[in-house]
Amino acid sequence: MNSNHSTDSEPRNMDFVTMNILDSTMLSLCREMGITLMKTSYSTIFNEALDFTCGIASPQGDMLAAAEFCPAQIGGMPLLIRSCLKEIPLTDIEPGDILVHNDPYRGGLHTPEHTLFCPVFVDGELVAFTVAIGHVAEVGGMVPGGFPAEATEIFHEGIRVPPVKIKKRGEDVVEVWKLWLANVRTPRYNYGDMRAMISGVELGAERLADIVRKYGRAVFAQTCEDLMDYAEKRMRAELAAIPDGRYSFVDYMDNDGVSDAEIRIEAHCHVMGEQLVVDYTGSSAQVRGPINATLGVAWSAAYNAVLHLTDPSIPKNSGCFRPIKIIAPRGTVVNVDYPAPEVGGNTETHPRIAGVVIGALAQAAPTRAMAGEGGTHLNFVFGGHDPKHDEYFACYDLEAVGWGARAHADGNDATDSINGNCRVMPVEVFETRYPWLTEEYRLRADSGGAGRQRGGLGTCKIYRCLDTEITASQLTDRHQHQAYGLNGGLAGAAGMTYYRASDDSAWQTMVEAFAKRSTSKWSNVTFKPGSRVQILTPGGGGYGDPRMRDAALLAADVADGFVSAEAAQRDYGISGEQA
Amino acid sequence: MSRYLVGVDVGGTFTDFVAYDRDTRALSVWKNLTTPDDPTTGILTGLARFTDGADIANLRVGTTVATNAILERKGARIAYVATRGFRDIPFLQRGHRKHHYDSGWVRSRALVLRRDCHEVDERLLASGEVLQPLDAASVAKVVADIAAAGGIEAVAVTLLFSYINPAHEQAVREQLTALLPGLPISISYDVLPKWKEYERASTTLADAYIKPVLQRYLATLRERLDERGVRAPVALIKSNGGEMSLAAAREQPVQLTLSGPTGGVVAARAVAEELGLKRAVTLDMGGTSTDCSTVVNGQISFTTDFEIEFGLPIQIPMIDIRTIGAGGGSVAWIDTGGMLRVGPESAGARPGPACYGFGGERPTVTDANLVLGRINPANFLGGGMALASERAHQALHTVAAPLGMTVEQAALAILRIVNNNMVGALRTVLVERGLDPREFALFAFGGAGPLHVSELLDEAGVAEAVVPLHPGQFSALGFVLTDARVDLERTIQMTSKRFDADRARAHLHDLISTASADLARQGYQGEMRIERTIDLRYLGQNYELEVAFDFDDFSADNVARLWADFHALHEQRFGFQIPKEAIEAITLRCTVHCQTAKPDFMALPARTQALAPRSQRVVTFMSGSVESPVYAREDLCAGDHLRGPALIEEAASVTVLAPGHGLTVSARGHLQIGRV
Repeated sequence: MNSNHSTDSEPRNMDFVTMNILDSTMLSLCREMGITLMKTSYSTIFNEALDFTCGIASPQGDMLAAAEFCPAQIGGMPLLIRSCLKEIPLTDIEPGDILVHNDPYRGGLHTPEHTLFCPVFVDGELVAFTVAIGHVAEVGGMVPGGFPAEATEIFHEGIRVPPVKIKKRGEDVVEVWKLWLANVRTPRYNYGDMRAMISGVELGAERLADIVRKYGRAVFAQTCEDLMDYAEKRMRAELAAIPDGRYSFVDYMDNDGVSDAEIRIEAHCHVMGEQLVVDYTGSSAQVRGPINATLGVAWSAAYNAVLHLTDPSIPKNSGCFRPIKIIAPRGTVVNVDYPAPEVGGNTETHPRIAGVVIGALAQAAPTRAMAGEGGTHLNFVFGGHDPKHDEYFACYDLEAVGWGARAHADGNDATDSINGNCRVMPVEVFETRYPWLTEEYRLRADSGGAGRQRGGLGTCKIYRCLDTEITASQLTDRHQHQAYGLNGGLAGAAGMTYYRASDDSAWQTMVEAFAKRSTSKWSNVTFKPGSRVQILTPGGGGYGDPRMRDAALLAADVADGFVSAEAAQRDYGISGEQA
Repeated sequence: MSRYLVGVDVGGTFTDFVAYDRDTRALSVWKNLTTPDDPTTGILTGLARFTDGADIANLRVGTTVATNAILERKGARIAYVATRGFRDIPFLQRGHRKHHYDSGWVRSRALVLRRDCHEVDERLLASGEVLQPLDAASVAKVVADIAAAGGIEAVAVTLLFSYINPAHEQAVREQLTALLPGLPISISYDVLPKWKEYERASTTLADAYIKPVLQRYLATLRERLDERGVRAPVALIKSNGGEMSLAAAREQPVQLTLSGPTGGVVAARAVAEELGLKRAVTLDMGGTSTDCSTVVNGQISFTTDFEIEFGLPIQIPMIDIRTIGAGGGSVAWIDTGGMLRVGPESAGARPGPACYGFGGERPTVTDANLVLGRINPANFLGGGMALASERAHQALHTVAAPLGMTVEQAALAILRIVNNNMVGALRTVLVERGLDPREFALFAFGGAGPLHVSELLDEAGVAEAVVPLHPGQFSALGFVLTDARVDLERTIQMTSKRFDADRARAHLHDLISTASADLARQGYQGEMRIERTIDLRYLGQNYELEVAFDFDDFSADNVARLWADFHALHEQRFGFQIPKEAIEAITLRCTVHCQTAKPDFMALPARTQALAPRSQRVVTFMSGSVESPVYAREDLCAGDHLRGPALIEEAASVTVLAPGHGLTVSARGHLQIGRV
């Protein structure tokens, strides 16, 4: 690989020791905030799945540090902060204020994701914000759980919260709380989650103020600038190591839930010395259904892909994004115009966008890349009335997928898609909270794409409705378009969702059972006691020619049932006995 | 006559020994190399000091055998038995990744092969109610499959919701025991009766996985001790800091996964009590890693959140020790952006720091301490190993030059960074739990802890610091101070709206009597002390706060006090409470301690003639270089005061006292350091 990155001597005015210390201190502070969120929140999407992020931002809207919880949210943070500060000027922000915001058309990623900001004042001067971004499980709208797969406008997707103060000078703004809680199905849970996020940013703000006081405002501000310059420099060096050129890749989403057309996602990556331009031109026009991505998502997905292909130790601040430029034409599925629906853009379209950027750059850096991953969070959401506690319940259940194989290793089985880093809910927590019975939770044999390195396996879960009627919806993808293989590796298996009315009836797709438009995107299906849903999640793509697979590894895969004898014969050209 | 209470800490590089002589009240310490291939040999070598094995009255061993068997995947081939539909739980894990953006990451390998995972027909509901009774024929089928597979050495069983109703798991165990006699079986209800099936299964699998290995190891140890004429009882140190008999360790070896480092915390508790310090935070800094923990009002902090590797939880109750990968051997380097970094890579024992002269060329924290004059090259390990200052200089130059620094400046920068990493570790055990560092005394030990104690005193913002007696063998010292201890817990899961006091009382009574009987069976006959706690959360939350209580009867008043204590604790810990919210009680827990005979250490003699330094040398501190007196620790007497700058050398460590700090020697020889 050509290495043409600059060897300019470092300007001597950077204090690398203080930079190192401040960077690790801010990161551990962000983690502390995250632990508070995890431990005090109510929704399982927070405390079991960990679908949130905590960070620190400058008053100018730069991201200074972020803890590793959810990658989608990290990449979206810079745009979010700036959009929010456009509406609430810095001069209106006082000590003790907390701002909340979720509007996708004001820099947000999707409706369920709520962002909280807490200003940090030292000696009367605003020095930073602590930030928490969290996925709130219930936001009102047309289905319980926040993923109305058949939505056709933003208003179907739940309550929009433009930047407003939820606390003012240390006191709750009661009107905002009332308005928000009146628009969701599970106010007790939403209250707990909002309290958890507030507690997290307040705790972080208190600690950060101590840190800034210790170093002094000027040193803190200068060191943050230096850290961003440093991250930028690291990123430039990484990009310079990728051969210059224009690399393109295309993948498709199955449909948008309200029509059958497939949706094209296209990226052209121009590597030009130390810079990268990601151009999404050629991607489909925006669609009627809720898989449009906001501009924040389009940015975040490109950053996510690049961070996957570069040195993981680069500090995650706004500086590392500077050498990356993004072209996302307006009115397309990667930069949607008001008032189209968008809730699936952040979970489903993001991994497809990141996947095409990785697929494109894989041509330039084949040893770093991985084959396509399952690329969906399955987004099975449901709600109903719990007779035991006499209150409404709502849940966002996400599932794991197979990951792509790499040049040096098989894909990981059952792993959350690239834009999340969430945990699947334990069966014992799930059944304690919700009236389903889990009948099976397995790896799907043969779902990993064959290859010299095998793609990771997807999963199979079957839920039976126990004794309470449940209203469920799903917004997923890759029922038709599979995760791609690389360098001769085969694609991973597609996913599917089935319904079964009773012990006596057959498994059917949602199209067959309920005349839904899409097997993967459907809303408000009523599950009666005894009915079931089966969720098959997609596998990851393989890497390299399957016939080159190490015989002992293939034999072990067959003995352990990860690969069936038939598939060994069909895909790897080796009979069951030989394996 | 048996005179000695002996503690042995088998570490990665060294095996440390402490012996307390009950006749003379004298304490002696020594160490020799660990023998990883045959861990009993290192123990026997050190015990050869006792010409008559019968002189040993009591032997306690902390061991890394269990940990290493898991980390190196050298455990047994085991089978796993699950509820129908769930044999893949060990492979599904939880779905998250270790790093966000590392496309090269490979997930932790399960401790069992999928071909050895089986299912039985049975199902419980979340309430513990039986949905489908256990089908004995399906168990018989599993037995046949295990027998047919051949070579299975142990079995782990995890059935859904067994933590509420263990009947099916117990029935499976009975049937397996009857049909596969002699095969060790671990059921999840015994190992970890707590919700979340993957975490419970992972812990149960670990227990089964190491059981055959540990049973062989413990049998060999007993046998070879017998040959040496050691007739004393042998106890193993558990992850909870208590001891268990050899027989008990054979039954539940998973209790040994964090054996060694607990000794330092137990010893710190004893020393804190002796010195009248209410709050202590420990920093055990070795060559490759540093362990931190706390002792508050005599209470050690416990956790059940441990992961031995990312994604491999072992959730038995253990001392909450946070480990970071930074120590004396941590390597300093310049990254591609020009920033100086320290660790996480360690030079280990080989090649070790550059100054060891074993071929290491990259600078480490030890090299930095050497060029700054803090370590005496002629007195490392009591003079047992000569250090090469020139090599340390050369190695440090490789990072100093690109930074435009002198070697000394680079060395100071390395110490600032590694100290900040230590402060980060201290914050995780203090600030993250709502504890204020300003109220704490920092206990610094391990070979490298005393070198950094003075600077950490300022950086961590603690009130004062202590370098205890024998900081290099402090964990082994803790072992001779250990009590027997059993922790038991049970999931009860009920809300404050419908709290069933009778059920809670029955569970608590059962827990206490089971734990007490366990200790009695192990042969402990001392006085039993009982602690009770309950894990509470707001209905809807998923993580609990542990609330201590001291009653057996859940009367209305007592229960009301529990709820009030929870609200207050939530406020203290997280800054808010939700006053009218329902509270959910999840886990009831009891700990029963059985006191053992404790040493009564001798006091140091009083000073009769003036204290004189053994030598002088130039030491570089953050504030500059200064000629500093060097004292031998053995020369110190009770009540001595010293002012920084000063160095106090002993065989296994050096205490660095910075300018602006003072030191007082306690009655029994601990060094108490504060600002002057």
